Amino acid sequence: MEFELDEEQRLLRRTVRETVAKMRGRPEDQQWDTYLRLGWLEAPPLELALILEELGYAADPTPFLATATWFAPLTGRLPEGSGTAVFDGAGRYVLDADRADEVALLTGRGVIVVPGAELAAPRVPVLDPHLHAAHVDADGLVAAVPEPALLGLAATCVGACRRVLDLVLDHVRQRAQFGRPLGSFQAVKHKAADMHVAIERARALTHFGALTLAENDPRRTDAAHMAKAAAGECQRLVFRHGLQLFGAMGFTWENELQYHLKRAQACDLLLGVASVHRKALLA
Amino acid sequence: MKLADDPEVEAFRAEFAAFLDAHLPDEAGARERAGSSAHVPRWARRWQRTLFDAGWLLPGQPPEYGGRDATLPQQLAHLEELARRRVYHSFNPQGLGIIAASLLTFGTEEQKRRWAVPILRAEITAALGMSEPEAGSDLASLRTRAVPDRDGFVVNGQKVWTSGAHDADVLLAFVRTDPDAPKHQGISALLVPTGAEGVVRRPFGSIAAEDDLDFNEVFLTDVRVPRENLLGPLNEGWRVANGSLGHERTLLWLSYAERLEDLLRDAADAGAGQEWYATLRMDLTALRLLGHRQLGQDRDPAEISVLKLLGSEAVQSASLYALEAHGVEGLEHPARTGPYHHMHHEHFISSWFERYARSFAGTIAGGTSEIQRNIIAERILGLPR
Ligand SMILES: Cc1cc2nc3c(=O)[nH]c(=O)nc-3n(C[C@H](O)[C@H](O)[C@H](O)COP(=O)(O)OP(=O)(O)OC[C@H]3O[C@@H](n4cnc5c(N)ncnc54)[C@H](O)[C@@H]3O)c2cc1C
Repeated sequence: MEFELDEEQRLLRRTVRETVAKMRGRPEDQQWDTYLRLGWLEAPPLELALILEELGYAADPTPFLATATWFAPLTGRLPEGSGTAVFDGAGRYVLDADRADEVALLTGRGVIVVPGAELAAPRVPVLDPHLHAAHVDADGLVAAVPEPALLGLAATCVGACRRVLDLVLDHVRQRAQFGRPLGSFQAVKHKAADMHVAIERARALTHFGALTLAENDPRRTDAAHMAKAAAGECQRLVFRHGLQLFGAMGFTWENELQYHLKRAQACDLLLGVASVHRKALLA
Repeated sequence: MKLADDPEVEAFRAEFAAFLDAHLPDEAGARERAGSSAHVPRWARRWQRTLFDAGWLLPGQPPEYGGRDATLPQQLAHLEELARRRVYHSFNPQGLGIIAASLLTFGTEEQKRRWAVPILRAEITAALGMSEPEAGSDLASLRTRAVPDRDGFVVNGQKVWTSGAHDADVLLAFVRTDPDAPKHQGISALLVPTGAEGVVRRPFGSIAAEDDLDFNEVFLTDVRVPRENLLGPLNEGWRVANGSLGHERTLLWLSYAERLEDLLRDAADAGAGQEWYATLRMDLTALRLLGHRQLGQDRDPAEISVLKLLGSEAVQSASLYALEAHGVEGLEHPARTGPYHHMHHEHFISSWFERYARSFAGTIAGGTSEIQRNIIAERILGLPR
């Protein structure tokens, strides 16, 4: 096995990061159109994971995640506009169900696609201000989550966690107390190092998941559970240390940190928290 | 990035597997292995020699040093193949993996012939003398002095935690050769024969058992060491030490992966239905993946610290989880596992409590977890010193 990104993949990652940064603050439609135009929705699994990591890094507000990793893998095609899917029988907190052009429903007899407009699914308020979620009346649906959906959330979560760590690192380099930068205190360094290790662990498992998916490897279900669980565990550590290390500043609405913390936590909560997926590994 | 194994690496693996099938002595099978001891039973010397002669001991080295110029991925496949069968290829891991490797990097041709080759051929064993009572994590504060004298040095001082020194023929000792230079600049690396006059070794027990005598104190009193035993340039021992530690940590991550794999196998019955079992699998998979990534070009050597931290702490949590899952049974201490007790035959059936206690070797030796965190924070994440 080769576990190093190749030149093209690294280039893709750089391009995505720059593009997303340039689009920051533009209207959502414009961002979405740009992603469509660049063909990101059609990217193969590993490349998609890299794109999602960057979108997670930027707390992307568009329906990219649900369209690319929920709708498309379930239906085998891209939607007209944006799409989402209902996997879990309860149909609660379905990502982007309030605004998707098409919604895929997984039923006992297969996948049914309905126009989003036909579903009465008003947006439910959630703590992550940029996340759209809605309840879908989902009687008769099958509870089964395909691997791409889990990996999509894991990749997004890893990106959000990396952003939190980067913000923390900038902060502790600049903020001084007791006459020294916070980052020179060891208690602070050790928290940063632990966050880094947790992120590397989750990212490795996410990339592994994407590789198994791309090659239809028999390990793909286990790998997806591992990725989702590791991302959730990573998120828990990064949320705690990340917010703590910002002090009171991290507790404010003005600070950008909140978006990324919330995005990461949301990714853990959607489609089962870490412990749910750890249990799935025992089966 | 790809899942598929490189055919050249797989061919290499298969060749080694076939070699093992044909030559592995029965004693080296599943349950016979040493901890970190330099104590070498006779069959183990023969086995190491067989590996050396066939180019399977350190395959990354050129043929004259018992290798076959293998690539990094091939070297990993070689170690994985040994680990998969729970085979130790050397009963003097420090000597082989650190001291011989450092000699091959920093030594003169004469030193390679005189010391490295005999270590590799299991004719002599070597121990690593870095730590001192006042110099553990802060290795550069070491005080053992070597004063130039005619055609060599006179060494005075004390080493401690020197694994396997009681059985070793030579000690790679880090000594202060310039007391006035800044801390890191006045250190040199010296090969000190343990038979030299003035060398006294005192083995003492580990946490596992009073007679698990692998640790040593080594006292050096007016020991004369010839000039040609200086490894690397005078006063540049810090570079040699960093190279040695690099070798040590590179080996370590794989040994953690191996140990995790063992834990996974051995704990399987207790593990069924337990959530920690899943964590163990995730840690192991992540460790392997990150280890493979480290083989990529231009990886930052500081990233080895991520592997060391992740691996050693995972082994520690895993043994604690397994201990707790087995409950009170874990109290028992059936196996005496020291080098003088059956050459560690029983290592794998030692109690869970012992395995947990021994896991601290991983989080302390070769740079503690705290030191790895400092390295990650400062060198990878760029936080101020
Ligand atoms: C099984 C085993 C085998 C060994 N074999 C060898 C050998 O063959 N040769 C050899 O030379 N040595 C050997 N050692 C010694 C080993 O390298 C040292 O134990 C290690 O470097 C730590 O030093 P110390 O024990 O003096 O602990 P200290 O340095 O005294 O540390 C004690 C505690 O303080 C923490 N600490 C220290 N400095 C810092 C810091 N800057 N920031 C945060 N925390 C800090 C440590 O992390 C640790 O938790 C071995 C050790 C073990 C356990």
